Amino acid sequence: MSESFLKIKGIRKEYGPVVAVHDVNLEVKRGEFLTFLGPSGSGKSTTLYILAGFENPTEGDILLNGETLLSTPSHKRNIGMVFQRYTLFPHLTVGENIAFPLKVRRKSKAEVDSRVREMLRLVRLEGFEDRKPAQMSGGQQQRVALARALAYDPPVLLMDEPLSALDKKLREEIQHEIKRIHEQTEVTILYVTHDQEEALRLSDRIAVFSKGIIDQIGTGPELYANPRTRFVAEFIGDSDFISCHLLSSDNGQATISLGDKIIFDSIPVHGRPTSGSKAALMLRPERIRLGRKAGVSKGLSATVNDITFLGNNVHVTTRIAAGETLSVRLPFGHEAISGLSRGDNVHLEFDPDAAHVFC
Amino acid sequence: MLLNFDRLGWWRYVLLAITVLTAAFLLLPILFIAALSFGSSQWLIFPPPGWTWRWYAELLSDPQWLASAWTSFKIAAIVTVLSVLLGLVTSFGLVRGKFMFRDALKALFLTPMILPVVVFAVALYAFFLRIGLGGTLVGFVLSHLVLALPFSILSITGALEGFDKSIEDAAVLCGASPLEAKIRVTLPAISHGLFSAAVFSFLTSWDEVVVAIFMASPTLQTLPVKVWATLRQDLTPVVAAASTLLILLTVMLMTLAATVRKVLKK
Amino acid sequence: MSTYIDVADEAAPARKAARPTGFAQVAPALAFVAIFFIFPVIALLLRSVMEPAFGFGNYAELLGSETYLKIFGNTFIVSGVVTVLSLLIGFPVAWTLAIMPARWSSVVFAILLLSMWTNLLARTYAWMVLLQRTGLINKVLIGMGLIDKPLALVNNLTGVMIGMTYIMLPFIILPLHGVIKKIDPAVLQAAALCGASRLQCLTRILIPLAAPGMMAGALMVFVMSLGYYVTPSLLGGTANMMLAELIAQFVQSLVNWGMGGAAAFVLLVVTLTLYAVQLRLFGVQNTGGR
Repeated sequence: MSESFLKIKGIRKEYGPVVAVHDVNLEVKRGEFLTFLGPSGSGKSTTLYILAGFENPTEGDILLNGETLLSTPSHKRNIGMVFQRYTLFPHLTVGENIAFPLKVRRKSKAEVDSRVREMLRLVRLEGFEDRKPAQMSGGQQQRVALARALAYDPPVLLMDEPLSALDKKLREEIQHEIKRIHEQTEVTILYVTHDQEEALRLSDRIAVFSKGIIDQIGTGPELYANPRTRFVAEFIGDSDFISCHLLSSDNGQATISLGDKIIFDSIPVHGRPTSGSKAALMLRPERIRLGRKAGVSKGLSATVNDITFLGNNVHVTTRIAAGETLSVRLPFGHEAISGLSRGDNVHLEFDPDAAHVFC
Repeated sequence: MLLNFDRLGWWRYVLLAITVLTAAFLLLPILFIAALSFGSSQWLIFPPPGWTWRWYAELLSDPQWLASAWTSFKIAAIVTVLSVLLGLVTSFGLVRGKFMFRDALKALFLTPMILPVVVFAVALYAFFLRIGLGGTLVGFVLSHLVLALPFSILSITGALEGFDKSIEDAAVLCGASPLEAKIRVTLPAISHGLFSAAVFSFLTSWDEVVVAIFMASPTLQTLPVKVWATLRQDLTPVVAAASTLLILLTVMLMTLAATVRKVLKK
Repeated sequence: MSTYIDVADEAAPARKAARPTGFAQVAPALAFVAIFFIFPVIALLLRSVMEPAFGFGNYAELLGSETYLKIFGNTFIVSGVVTVLSLLIGFPVAWTLAIMPARWSSVVFAILLLSMWTNLLARTYAWMVLLQRTGLINKVLIGMGLIDKPLALVNNLTGVMIGMTYIMLPFIILPLHGVIKKIDPAVLQAAALCGASRLQCLTRILIPLAAPGMMAGALMVFVMSLGYYVTPSLLGGTANMMLAELIAQFVQSLVNWGMGGAAAFVLLVVTLTLYAVQLRLFGVQNTGGR
């Protein structure tokens, strides 16, 4: 296919002086599960609402199969949506809720009935046709909302933090359901959440939103291993940051110094590196090697602040000479932990290609 | 979309038009009467050929009008005091008490508000005739009190339910007697409810027509009764003057009530 | 021996007893309402079956006479029309009020409240003047060329209906706007996404969800209209009596307590029945207009 399936071009949304979305560009592949991930106020929900037609962008366009969507009113866009607060029609039964979009499209009674049954089977709520929403739990209501959104076979399904109102265990159950339904129906899903674990669990790709723009799009592993901004590094997975000086950079790799003496080179660098400026060195806690004494490669000396046992992992918080705190994650039973106690001096090392520098 | 004002499309203008027209429909008669009260036509021609203070002069120099206004005021004032006091005591019982049928009792107290007034007016008229209270000040006060009490109870129970009782308990722990704690701590905190109760009770009595028609005697008339009797005969502009003064009173009281409520609620 | 006092144990008996408290505080008001409200009403109803003779003669006369039945009919018809008109006008206004920007809605609110609390006689008088043959309304209609001769708009049931609708509108708009405000806007958004046009959203979602509020308001207006005295008397003239004025006439002019009580009882029964029906269908709604 030469044309992309869903293209979001240069979307900008202003509310008076406030710019909620600066410049969002995205190409969504047919059938993929793409998550908008970010903190509240980052513009992810606004972008979703523009897609649904509840807001008009100040600038930009949205193309579905090459045709602009913006000139179509919401009720003709044929897009499905599941909201945070279930938003089932309280005066209609479950069956009538799911039948609603079909009746509005004037489908025959036979078609409506069979499709309703099919949808209830899909979300595993057979037999619930005659219940009213008020008689059902939050998780069940959300599944009915999903059934209703998919009843008319939309090309795109939007989901706006649909699970944030549910408790943790229920959330995981329904995440499972959503993944299964995605595989079964092959519908394209655009999912908004602020929970990085949820994003990692469900998505094919994740678009990380920060302050109205997309910082980075990629698969979970890509974003984790190669974050392009400090925000993405901090938002996905745990991270440690040490301030450093950028000495020089060449072809995407930098040489930095920590303090006066210790110099590291060949570290991937992101942003706009200028020699002599301050920068931040990012390390993942599980990629830091902890030893009792200086090893072969260069490293940092540190003192142990705290040792926390967390099941199969042990977190050791250390303090380096410059004053910053580094968290090191070691598997339980690692030799370095035995006999380790607060106040001990240790040596921290890392491989350059496991680190990142952000300017 | 239907509940989002900005996204209604052209429907928005239809709805706005209906609302503006309705608001005008509700407001214009009131303004009309005020304008009419200054018109010089005795037959209420509008627009009037000229403007005059004549009707107000007639109104304010007529002893019957003044007497009826004074009667109305006396009754309303007494009813207000009694209604707030009785309402206050009753509200404490309804909000804090635990006894059988408490909710049913609360509904019972509100009944005079929802049953047709004419039934009550006629019944009370019959009763007062029998015991000789018809056409007396006491009779008026008692009958208006029945009608004002529900408003008083509604306002005060509302304020009391929003009041955190533990503040009163803290005062008791500090050494105040239960009664002292109520007077020094609770009452100031629910003063906005008391004020609303007072305003509603006053207005209910002041404006009350139906009961007053039956309760009135040739020597004891409230202002609404005087208006009613005059209207049954002819449509003199003096009534327009009286009506305008009544409208002014409502506006002043309502603005006063709104501002005082805001101040007291802080 | 320990001098330690277990505070919890001391308080326990009081908690366990849970004596009824507070009744003394409601007793005075209860007595007052019983003596000056409940008792007189019951006494009046008793008179309806005791005067002039024991039995239901008054009711037979009331419900058998054509004149009286016409008055009942007029009352029901006028109340019905007023209710329907108030609903038709009130629903869009309540809807708009619920979604308007706050600066505008506070103005409309102020007008609604002013209208509700302005003296009833003042408002009725205004309509008496406006609806005259030589009144402003007729003048404007003739001036605009819509009619040749002035319409008879007052001293008949038309005038009553206009005046009563004017008075009842705020009683529908205020509670109904509250009901609509409580509807989650996202439900309407979801309906739009499901493919429903604005009209379909209105008929299939908004109106059904607002229906309990509309029914409560309609019932309140209908009941109030049935028992209204002042406005129908002044705007309807002597030839077009409604139920309340009939009761008043029995009692004041004819001093016929039996018939007066009977008519009052009919009104009371109809009122209570309608409330009971609403309670059964919709549960307890906010019927207090003020």
